[in-house]
Amino acid sequence: MKEKRNIGQMITTVLPFAALVALFFIFIGVVNMKGYRLDMYLKIAFNEGVVLAVVATGAIFIYTLGTFDISLGASTLFSATMGVMTYNKTENLGLMILVIFAVGIICSLFNSVLASVFHIPAFVTTVAMMSVLTAVAAKIITTEGGALGGIRIPSSVLKPFDSMGCKIALLVIFFAVSLFMFRFTKVGRRQKFIGGNPLCAYLTGIRYNKYTIIAFVMAGIGVGLGAFLTLVYTPSVTTTTASSIGMNIFIAIVFGGMPISGGPFSKIYAALVGGFSFMLLNDILEIVIESNAAYGITQIISAVFFLIVVYLTSMNYRTAMLPR
Amino acid sequence: MKQRVTKVLGLLLAGVMTLGMLTACGGKNGDTEGGKDTSSASKETVKIGVLVADVSGEEAQGFRSYYEKYIASNYNVEFTYTDALESAEDEKSAIEKFASQGCKAIISLSGSDRAQQIETCEQYGVYYAVASGVLEDEQFETYKGYEYFVGQVGPSNATEFEAGKAMGEFFKNQGTKTVAIYGAFIPNPMHVYRLAGTIVGLGDTYGGTDDMNGIIGQIFQDQTLDLSKVEGDTEVVAYLQGYGDTTTDELNAAIQKSPEAFLSVGMATTFFTQSLNEAGIAFSDIDSFTQANGDAIENGKLTYLAGKYSSSIGPVFALVMNAVNGNVIRDDEGNAVSISQGYLVATDKATFDEYYVSDNGDSPIYDKATLDSIIGDNVTYADVKALVESK
Repeated sequence: MKEKRNIGQMITTVLPFAALVALFFIFIGVVNMKGYRLDMYLKIAFNEGVVLAVVATGAIFIYTLGTFDISLGASTLFSATMGVMTYNKTENLGLMILVIFAVGIICSLFNSVLASVFHIPAFVTTVAMMSVLTAVAAKIITTEGGALGGIRIPSSVLKPFDSMGCKIALLVIFFAVSLFMFRFTKVGRRQKFIGGNPLCAYLTGIRYNKYTIIAFVMAGIGVGLGAFLTLVYTPSVTTTTASSIGMNIFIAIVFGGMPISGGPFSKIYAALVGGFSFMLLNDILEIVIESNAAYGITQIISAVFFLIVVYLTSMNYRTAMLPR
Repeated sequence: MKQRVTKVLGLLLAGVMTLGMLTACGGKNGDTEGGKDTSSASKETVKIGVLVADVSGEEAQGFRSYYEKYIASNYNVEFTYTDALESAEDEKSAIEKFASQGCKAIISLSGSDRAQQIETCEQYGVYYAVASGVLEDEQFETYKGYEYFVGQVGPSNATEFEAGKAMGEFFKNQGTKTVAIYGAFIPNPMHVYRLAGTIVGLGDTYGGTDDMNGIIGQIFQDQTLDLSKVEGDTEVVAYLQGYGDTTTDELNAAIQKSPEAFLSVGMATTFFTQSLNEAGIAFSDIDSFTQANGDAIENGKLTYLAGKYSSSIGPVFALVMNAVNGNVIRDDEGNAVSISQGYLVATDKATFDEYYVSDNGDSPIYDKATLDSIIGDNVTYADVKALVESK
């Protein structure tokens, strides 16, 4: 029985990586087949995936607790908005970066306070926060941007950061820190425990509030880094900036082989693997399906793949027994 | 367990096969498509990318049809369209993809961040032109000297204001005393300018002013039309904007106030025609000359339509083709071209047909013969300007 479960676990562990590798080679194949420039397309795919990967990696800490935060996209928008406002007022790059991260963490902490201190379910508070942050950011953007429809900083300000090397370094550093916390400290283990069985964790003496706050702080850092990388890519903020991140995090985590219910099967690499897999899949479909095809066909096919992945990755988790 | 592994493998195979089939179906540039061998022409075909934010509106579909069906069949060009772009990041990513696909030029019908679009095209050496909306004056001043920025042809913001003003004046001159207004997608700048013009045209002030910039600034600040700020000759009894879950309720509430007319600064004919016809309320819109709008004028209560016609984006194509062929047209000061296009107005079926029928099928207003007069090595800014202003 134990051997069977191990094989099942091995499949669900390897599958996301295998899918990423397969998608990567299919991506290379279709780009070459179409005669497009592969070097540029690889860069595009990376730029599309990196923001999602960092924000979703931070979000893993929240998802591990068995809850989720749907306001992360709105938080990214709000952080970027405040960053641009700060730079335009002070022309101080350091202060701008500080504000971006501070706003990201504060937004996330506010959610955690509501969730842990006032015991309001996180999905309720984050839905409310999503609306509030989006509305406030939209008000600032449209008021300050006027007829331009958005606010921006000069593109030269963040140009030095707009290189693959810099972005990869930031991604690796953040992922390494997250990996260390998740795998090699008690923070990750206890968060998995809470996600698996909150009552049992409580009876063992684990403080739910403390680990909830840590989870939201990590998510806030991810939001800050995501907002910064968004501005590095496009130094402007409109009301639709980062609008798709909130839902894409959910998809990325599932694509990465992590159960949405969190708990002991949570994987810190799920966001990274799933985020890039999702973006590669989208790009493949976009290239393969000509623009003349009906709009929305790529979304339908993505949805079918999503359901297949959910089915495959959840097969091993569908058990009546707690993992041991 | 064995059964489960079989299931997993089966699903994996199904996924890979699906993707494989799609890959095969996608084909390659130059493959035979629908019995027509395009390989011989592919070497010389000019690839043009089109950035679009709206894929379902009647105007957007009319534009697309003109490029893909008329222009593509008369010139050696291939248009590649984006899906509906939602943000500045999407726009930049789309431009990068077009550049890597070998597109020589990009025509923009999407306006999340025009400045970013120009800078990205400059970075990749791809010609760029705006076909819908225009840059803000200050923004245009910044970018007009960019090497790959070809220019913009479309209604300027001042033209948008005038279009709204003319619509308001039409109803005021008819003696209308009460109106409801639909602000479409405020704070979209185009709609803000039209709305400001409508207020002025109705003989009203907003926040005590009838100055264009004064009203514009307030609407951007308010994010809506604050009815308590509207004063003047015509009473605005209801206002609604956007389109969502509550729109039907808001429309019904507006109809309940029995306005003599319903003025829209965009897309009312897409959303509200049936409801307004049933309510028997005369309505107006700034939209485009489409079959559905023709029906609404003939059989419904659409009494005023200011619109563009589908081939109005022809001159932008001409500018882009000239640039790709080596004749980058510049204005008298050596900068990117900026030409404003006006709106055509129909208040009855006969006028509507005059514009609609003459811009359809194989003989659009900007047909091949007309466009050929502004495509060539010796074409100048004066030629293009004269033609656009004559239409």
